[in-house]
Amino acid sequence: MLDTEREVPTPEGIELNLRLAGPVPRALAWSADLLLRAAAFAALSVPLRALGEVGSGIMLILWFALEWFYPTVCEVWFGGATPGKKALGLMVLQSDGTPVRLTASLIRNLLRGVDFLPFAYGFGLLSMLVNRDFQRLGDIAADTVVAYRESALKHGAIPEAAPLPPSKPLTLREQRLVLDLAARSPLLTVERARELAVLIPSVTGTQQPESALTRLLSIANYLIGRRT
Amino acid sequence: MNQQTFESLYAGRWDQFAQWLERSGAARKQEAQSQGMASFDMPARYRELCQHLALARDRQYSADLIERLSGLALGGHQVLYGARSRSLDRARNFLRAGFPRAVRREWRFVWLAIALFFGPLAVITCAIPSHPDFAYVVLPADVIDSAQQMYGGEAKALGRKRAADTDVGMFGFYIFNNVRIGFQTFASGLLFGVGALFYLIFNGVFIGAFTGYIVDAGLAANFFSFTAGHSAFELLAICLSGAAGLKLGYALIAPGRLTRTAALRGAAAEAIPLVIGVAGMLLIAAGIEAFWSPRTFVAPIIKYAIGIAIWCLLGAYFLFAGRSHGS
Repeated sequence: MLDTEREVPTPEGIELNLRLAGPVPRALAWSADLLLRAAAFAALSVPLRALGEVGSGIMLILWFALEWFYPTVCEVWFGGATPGKKALGLMVLQSDGTPVRLTASLIRNLLRGVDFLPFAYGFGLLSMLVNRDFQRLGDIAADTVVAYRESALKHGAIPEAAPLPPSKPLTLREQRLVLDLAARSPLLTVERARELAVLIPSVTGTQQPESALTRLLSIANYLIGRRT
Repeated sequence: MNQQTFESLYAGRWDQFAQWLERSGAARKQEAQSQGMASFDMPARYRELCQHLALARDRQYSADLIERLSGLALGGHQVLYGARSRSLDRARNFLRAGFPRAVRREWRFVWLAIALFFGPLAVITCAIPSHPDFAYVVLPADVIDSAQQMYGGEAKALGRKRAADTDVGMFGFYIFNNVRIGFQTFASGLLFGVGALFYLIFNGVFIGAFTGYIVDAGLAANFFSFTAGHSAFELLAICLSGAAGLKLGYALIAPGRLTRTAALRGAAAEAIPLVIGVAGMLLIAAGIEAFWSPRTFVAPIIKYAIGIAIWCLLGAYFLFAGRSHGS
């Protein structure tokens, strides 16, 4: 199936789900980091410029550190993500779901230069589009992935209704279907939402458009754990 | 068992697990020390949670519950399998044994890189006096222009284009410039080794042409007394970063029985100690080049002696350090 969710088996016999991030959020995170680094450099360069030649030497060291070590330091010691990635809810993980290790982080960030070729992350983008885990070249060599921190289910989007247990156990796929439709229902016209709700009588147990939608919302509320 | 019973039975234990995860690593360690490790048997609790998750999935409990349990399992997995040894110990071990061992393990690539770099360097240096025009083919005009300022007899600090350049300023420049070149040489090896090959040969030719030109221009004494101190660290670091890059490229060209991806992963993991070492060596080289090499109050003969001593020590380090186990 075409999906950005990747299942990682663990020694305990369960599967962890990682939701991998594609090129667009990663490019945004990189841009945010770039702005942040530029701002930090600009802010620090004002007092350093007053020091003349000595200051310019320190500025070059600073620039060097921001360019090469900022991502690695953030990834290894500050929760697997640079501030830009954190802002977009992303983090770097080993592809087995463990936190990124120092060597892997160094590899992926040192090889960034090759991903940048021929210009503007051309090779990196190409690699991400070809690779099923959205890995750029540095990620492939380091065996790392970039994943979302939070799960995809947005419970807040589901309108509140009196919770109702489904009449029969639903498979996980059916549950997803119900939750996704319930979350989307505020964005649809009422008529369209009812039309869609009628399509799964096996869940709602009715062909009536109005009651089908209210049933569906109630079941969705039950499924996300709302009681009373 | 239906979902509600299941939840009411174990919700308390899941909450405890979540609380334990929420505390940061340092707080956890402190607590474990103050209360004894038995206060929270993490591995057992993690296995229990995995069992609950498997049950919940198998029984098709609600997506919400499964989502929550897999979130907790992911957190537990990261803590349990992400444990690292103390980094200070690792740094000391790396210096004492890890780095020279890595260099010896990759001796094929290291010697190849040395040949690719020092070969052109030696040939061009020796050829320039008989074919002086070649220096003008390789070297840009401003490099040739600055040679006189940098190594002329009246220079107060050797190796500087402008009198205003300070030690700290040049230190920053050397770090910025040289370590970057080292990293680039390694990274460009990913292009099937072509990049690393290019940087090695190009730097060999360039440095050879410059050395030859300087000797031809009669500035040899100043030039060699400037370069003697940092040459060992800098030139060997270039070779090692080239060797690391060649290793990457070789893994892609001839992966052997592995897939190219697997070969690349293995090669990158094995090459990275070299790159870390290269960064350290270039930092040391930058320090020597900025603060010691330009000094003119030391007689050249002393600088030569110190330079040769550094070459010998560094060579001995790579050949002999970390050979014995457990010391």
